[in-house]
Amino acid sequence: MERIIEQIPRFFTPGNLWLLIESAGYTLGMTLVGCLIGFLLAFLLVYIRQTPGYWALPIRFVCIAYVEVFRRIPFLVVIYLVLFFIQTVTTDASLFTIAVIAICLYAIAYTAEIIRGGIESVPRTQIEAAETMNISRLQTTLTVVLPQAWPVIIPPAIAFAVSFIKDTALVSQIGVFELTFRGKELNNQGFSGILVFGTIAMCYFLLSFPLSMLGQYLEKRLATPRGQRRTRKVRHS
Amino acid sequence: MNYSFQYSIVWENFGALLEGAWLTFQLGVLAFAGGALIGLVGASIKTFGPFPLRLIVDAYVIFITNTPALIQIYFLYFGLPEVGVRWSSEACVLIGLILNAGAYLTMILRAGFLSVRRTELEAGLTIGMSILQQIRYIIIPHIAKSIYPALANFFIVILVMGTSIGAVIGVDELTGQAINLSTVNYRWLEYFSVVAVMYVVLTFVASIGLALVGRWAFRVKARIF
Repeated sequence: MERIIEQIPRFFTPGNLWLLIESAGYTLGMTLVGCLIGFLLAFLLVYIRQTPGYWALPIRFVCIAYVEVFRRIPFLVVIYLVLFFIQTVTTDASLFTIAVIAICLYAIAYTAEIIRGGIESVPRTQIEAAETMNISRLQTTLTVVLPQAWPVIIPPAIAFAVSFIKDTALVSQIGVFELTFRGKELNNQGFSGILVFGTIAMCYFLLSFPLSMLGQYLEKRLATPRGQRRTRKVRHS
Repeated sequence: MNYSFQYSIVWENFGALLEGAWLTFQLGVLAFAGGALIGLVGASIKTFGPFPLRLIVDAYVIFITNTPALIQIYFLYFGLPEVGVRWSSEACVLIGLILNAGAYLTMILRAGFLSVRRTELEAGLTIGMSILQQIRYIIIPHIAKSIYPALANFFIVILVMGTSIGAVIGVDELTGQAINLSTVNYRWLEYFSVVAVMYVVLTFVASIGLALVGRWAFRVKARIF
């Protein structure tokens, strides 16, 4: 215990703090980039998955299999697979890129389910109406389905990204300079484990807690779908 | 890409991987059971408990759910020996996972507790049920039905995401075994692709088992996919 108190002034130097802020930036940036790309690709996956017709059956099967398989493999295994697969293709990919690709692959599988849930919450009749007016499938998705699906998709997608900030701690295993890796480094420099990992846990808390609050706020804001709000207003007037 | 896959080495050591899978399963079940116990106590306190206790449970849930499980386990493994508490790596992972799962299960079970309507409890009281009977015949069937899918889903998360963290501090579960074996002969891609398939099979078996139990015990239609 005395050791910890003795180490506190040596631990919280401007240099170490700057190091922690920098690595927190890495953690956040990695998650953000990975989840954003993953989110966009998940849209594509869901769009392809919902292709109508018998000829698209194999494509649909592949999309479903992708989502099911990646939701059942640990993130650590995905990281190792991506790392060693990419190293057989090219030797000069940075570890950050590899981490982003792993996060992206994982995020696709999880957000695809969220997006599918949102899209399926749009009443079927609206899509049929659009079909009747001879609007193409892409246009129906962009102008009819998505505007109504947003409020259902956004809050859980943000919640996923926020909870993924914590899961990216595993990326430290392949040596990306993010918070957990810095923590291990500082611990190896001889600082007390309680002090170091307590501080790192606080850093994660400071990243994750405000964002999860924001997510909950958005969830409340978007709780009633826009369409319903409008119809209610019409009925009263 | 010029890489020749050689799966024969993996099949030679398949027994070790199977042992790892068994340990993964054990860790997952124990962590889930311990977490469910904490969750039950936590959710009861949050619903019925007095003010200071509720605050403690709230702080526990908020702190645990906003920090990574890996850091919690590191804290147990690298931090606690300094104050004289030395646990083996298996114990660290198990205790860390139980604490972690406890917080998430508190939230899930709390949602279940809230889904029980007050009038139903009052109706139970009217026909002379004791508290235990109320819990047994009113609350548990209710909770089981409304949150069984969430619980089953969380079990899979613990089984997969949770236990694989153990590999980082040297527990020989499925991922850990794969790391051990592939550092010997550098067949990372082969080992990890086989391990990935094993995880998928393991979780599918668990999902189907849970869906059957749910249908048999609580008449829940849990989806496997």
